[in-house]
Order: sequence, then C-alpha cells, then structure tokens
Amino acid sequence: MIIVENVHKSFRNGQREVHALRGVNCEVRQGRAAFIVGPSGSGKSTLLYLMGALDRPTSGRIVVDGLDLTTMSEVEANTYRREKIGFIFQSFNLINNLTAVENVLVSFMPRGVTPQLRARATELLTDVGLGDRLEHRPNQLSGGEQQRVAICRALVKDPVLVLADEPTGELDSRTGDEIYRVLRRLQAERQATLVVVTHDRRFINADDVVLEIQDGRLLGTSGKSRAQHDFAQA
Amino acid sequence: MWTFAWRNLLTRPLRTVLALVGLSIPILGVLGLTSLSDGLKNLVGDTLSQVQGVIILREGTPSPVFSQLPAEMEERIRAIPGVARVAPEVWQVAPSVENKTISGNVSKLAAKKIADRIKRKNQSPDSTPGKMDETQQLVSNIFDHPVLAGQDIRKHIGIKSAVFPRAMKEGRFLEPGDEGSNKIVISRKIARDNPNPETNQPRKVGDQLDIAGELFDIIGIYETGSMILDVVIVMDIDTVRRITNVPKETVSTFYVEGDDPAHNDELGEVIEQTLPTADSRGASEIMSNFGHLMNQLDKFLLATVALALVVGVVGIVNTMLMSTTERFAEFGVLRTLGWSRSNLLTLVTAESAYLGLLAGLIGFALALVFTVIVNPLIDSTGLSLFISPFNATRGLLLSIIMGTLGGLYPAWKASRLVPMAAIRLGAR
Repeated sequence: MIIVENVHKSFRNGQREVHALRGVNCEVRQGRAAFIVGPSGSGKSTLLYLMGALDRPTSGRIVVDGLDLTTMSEVEANTYRREKIGFIFQSFNLINNLTAVENVLVSFMPRGVTPQLRARATELLTDVGLGDRLEHRPNQLSGGEQQRVAICRALVKDPVLVLADEPTGELDSRTGDEIYRVLRRLQAERQATLVVVTHDRRFINADDVVLEIQDGRLLGTSGKSRAQHDFAQA
Repeated sequence: MWTFAWRNLLTRPLRTVLALVGLSIPILGVLGLTSLSDGLKNLVGDTLSQVQGVIILREGTPSPVFSQLPAEMEERIRAIPGVARVAPEVWQVAPSVENKTISGNVSKLAAKKIADRIKRKNQSPDSTPGKMDETQQLVSNIFDHPVLAGQDIRKHIGIKSAVFPRAMKEGRFLEPGDEGSNKIVISRKIARDNPNPETNQPRKVGDQLDIAGELFDIIGIYETGSMILDVVIVMDIDTVRRITNVPKETVSTFYVEGDDPAHNDELGEVIEQTLPTADSRGASEIMSNFGHLMNQLDKFLLATVALALVVGVVGIVNTMLMSTTERFAEFGVLRTLGWSRSNLLTLVTAESAYLGLLAGLIGFALALVFTVIVNPLIDSTGLSLFISPFNATRGLLLSIIMGTLGGLYPAWKASRLVPMAAIRLGAR
C-alpha cells in the first residue's frame, strides 16, 4: 500500500523557486498497477522518485508498505531501496562492464552475491528469454533485451514496489508491447505494486490506477477506466 | 565489489595506463634511490668492518690523502695510556700508473665524448662496437685511480688488525728487508686494470708496474673486496715520500691499536683531547658519520622524489575525477538500487588503490630491471645496487597509499551526488 498525503516538493533552480509538487494526495493498493501521466515538467518523475526515497518531500508524508519515507534516516532509505524497491529507467542504465547476470545482481554486490542469488538471477533472465545471454555485456544486447535485464534487476529482490520511469521511452512500439507483457506478468506473479511514469497511454489497462498530474497537482483520474481508481484528492 | 572496481579500470585502458605511468615513475625513483643508498651503505659497511683500529688524521680532513700531520706526533700518541701500537703512514694519489694519470683520464673522457658525438652524427649506431666499454673504462679509471699507501714496515709488523696483510691472496706482504726498495703489494683489481702489455693478462707476482715513471716489483697481491680499499698500492713509507716529494717530518695518518679493541671509541676520544689538531676515526665513528650523511642524502633525495609523487597523485586525482564525472549516471543508478554513500566511496577508492598497487608493481619491476642493467656496468667500482624486501614493501605501500589518497576526493565527490540529479546529469 502506498499512501501519499499532501506532498509538496520545491527546489531552487538558480534564482527561481520551482514548485514541482503542490499538495498531492493519493493511495495505491498493494499489487496494483498505477500510471502517472501528464505533460513534461508536470512533476511525474518527482513523485515517482519520492516514492523511491531518492529525495524527501518539502512537506507532507509518504508511506510505503507501512514505512514512513519522510522520517527515514539515510541508512534506512538505502536499505529500503535495496530490499523493497525495484527501479526501471527509460535509458535502461545497465552497467557497461558487467554481464547481464551481474547487472541483475548489482544491488547485492556490496554485501556479497551468494550462489542462491546468482541462481535466482539466472532463473529470472531465463524466464524473460535471456537464458542464452547471461554472460553478454549491455553493448552486446538489443534495446529490448537490455530493458528485460533491467526488469530482472528490479524484480530479483522480490520488491514490494516497482517504480518505472518511461520504461518504453527508447523502444519501438512492438518491443514496448513485449516489455509491458513481461513487466506485468512478473509483477502479477510477485504481487508487487507497479508505478509507471509514462506519456504513452496505450499500455494502460482498464483496471489500472491512473494518476493524472499537471503543474504539480493531481487533476484526477483519466485513462481507460475512470471508474476504477484508488486515489483520493484533497 | 573489488572485481567490479578492477573491471572499471580495465574499461578505460588508455587512461589507466597513463595514470600508471605517472605514478610508477616516481615509485621507480624511490626504489632506485633507496637501492643506491643501500648499496653505498653496504659498501662502506663492508670496508669499515675490515678496519678495526683507530685512524688519526689532521682535524677536518675528509680522507688520509688530504691529511698532513707532524711525524713527531707519533711519540705523543704512544705516550697516551691505552695505546698499544702506533704506525705512521703516508697516503698519496699515485702520480701515474702505467703512464695513466687522473687528469689525463679526465681529458681523455672529455675528448672521447666529443669524438663519440661526431661519430654518431656521421655513422649508424651499429658501426660503433665497443663504444660503451671504452667510455666505461675511462670513467672507471677516474674513480679507481690508484692511491699509494706508504707504511712504516717495521712498525706495521706488530699491528694485529692490519687490513692488507690479512687480505693477501698471492705472494707475500712487505717485510723489513723491503724498506727503501721499489717493492709493492697491489690488489687483484689493480692487477686486472693494468694488464701485462705483452700477454694482456692481469699482472702477477714477479711482474713490474710503472709508477711515476719508475718500475716497481710486484711482490704480493691482496683482495679485500672493498671498492675503497682495493685501489691501494702498498709500499714502504720512504719510497712514497721519495716519489711524491713528501718531507720526512710529515706523515698522513697514524694507525693506532689500543690494548682493548672493544674500547677503540674511548681511546679515540682521549687522543683527540690530548692532541687538539688530530681527528680520530674509528670504524664505528666513520660508519656513524657516513650513516648520518646518507640519512641527510636520503632526506634530500626523498624530498625530490616527493615532488614527483605529488605529480603522480595529481595524475590519479585527474584520472579518477574524469572517470567519476563520466559515470554520474552509473553512480545515480547504483544509489537508486540501494548502494550507500560509503559503498560508492569504497568502490572509487578501491579503483584508485588498484591503480596505486599496479603502479607500485610496475615501479618495482622497472627498478629490478634497472638494477640488473646497471649492476654489471658499475661492477668494477665494487658498488652493487640492491632492493631490499623492506624497501620493496615500503615502495609498494607508498604507491598504494598515494593511489588511495588520489582517489579520495573524486570518491567523496561521487558519493555526495543526489541520485536523481546524478542520473539526469549522466543522461545529458
């Protein structure tokens, strides 16, 4: 369960004060898929990263899986990201000098990679059709394959929340479809909550939560199913 | 994570190599200079271990060759309690040996250098075989030019710790019957350096040697193994006086033995108090003075090398800063995946520590190659460069520390990045 309560986020850009979020309230239940949509600069990614404890709100409260992100210490935030959150980026952001399987395991490197973790990563990569690409470096993989590795990297830790920032933004539509199929299947299997920032509404299903944001405010629901939503607006 | 750090270095090979060159050369300098310093210490230590008496010189003179003392001082030294034996000596640089003079060798070397330059301009490098050997020989001749040690034969007979009689390899040492004659004892090195022109073989007992235009009979050959002692031609004190025009009233040094060799230092102090113009040098005192000199020299050399090390560290800082700036997105991603600031700090510092380790190993390998190449070239001097395990370890540790220090600032900078900003910066 994600609870976002009256979240404001401001930062300085040179002399200018930018109000990225202005009192956002919403809830997303465990296991659901939520899509944050809106124009560029509306505050979509800011909200996503706040849910990932990569930054702190200026005011308000965000609670994920019972943990209040706004009161977390630095160490607790690291642990939260390492154990409970899976990130997927638009540019894949794989590490170039690591193989596919090592990229999947990169979160665990500082504490040591056990054979069990390696087996789990191998199983996951095989599951997404990369069983014969385990030892390939990112530059030996296509864009779709790289994003599948990134999905495995996000899901290998069995996260409670998967955060994806424009995951198909650099892929063609066919590969984008394939990526969403894989992402949704793995999310459903693990009952993880999925929050996606996107411009492309083609991948939103009827029962998905849609958070439409503009100028830092949540406008309301939109997308294919207005009736089924789990958000509340102040 | 350490494997990851290692691979990060290999990903940018050219930059890594340039950083390695920057740090490994100062490390080579450190090891080269310490090996030279150790070699000199070993050489002097070996020499002094053979001198077990006390040498009395004129105060302030650096070596017996420059010392002048009144001959009548002998009786005053003998009267000092604790003195068992006193033997006067006259030391002089040989005016010429086989017509080679020290000034002639310097001129020849200069002429040789000029001739070599002209030849190099006109000929291919392959057409000058043996060039190094000849030049090397001239340099060697300057530094190895023989020194004459005139001994009062009768008074030296009673000396128990006399260096040359104990080092005899062939023939015999000087005896009272050799007084005033042209009889000499030379080292194996001098015999080798001045071969018999007819046979081209080293001089042997029974051969003659031309010193200052006079022929001398070689009656014995010694070998101490010390570069400093093995340039000495020993003969009667009056013979040296005659060929070098040293008056009867003057000697260079007195070799003194005490009743108890264990108290040579104390005896030396008493002699200096009794005879203010004399300077007493026991082996331990010379070693101590030399050690002090070498320590000062070491400090100077290390200060010079420290500058080079600073440049090496700046190179590492530059390399790591460039590397971290290029990898902002990577660091941002790692932070989003749960890596802590300290994990990033460790990663980047590990990379620079690896650079330091590699530079240290390369510097050590270069220093080993350097000693292997140089040692045969300076073999004739008796000096041998030597990298002790202690110095090798010290050089390696120094290199790792320098590498690690060089990586600290870039590592700190990388660890302070805000993940979101890092990803955005890296994506630009």
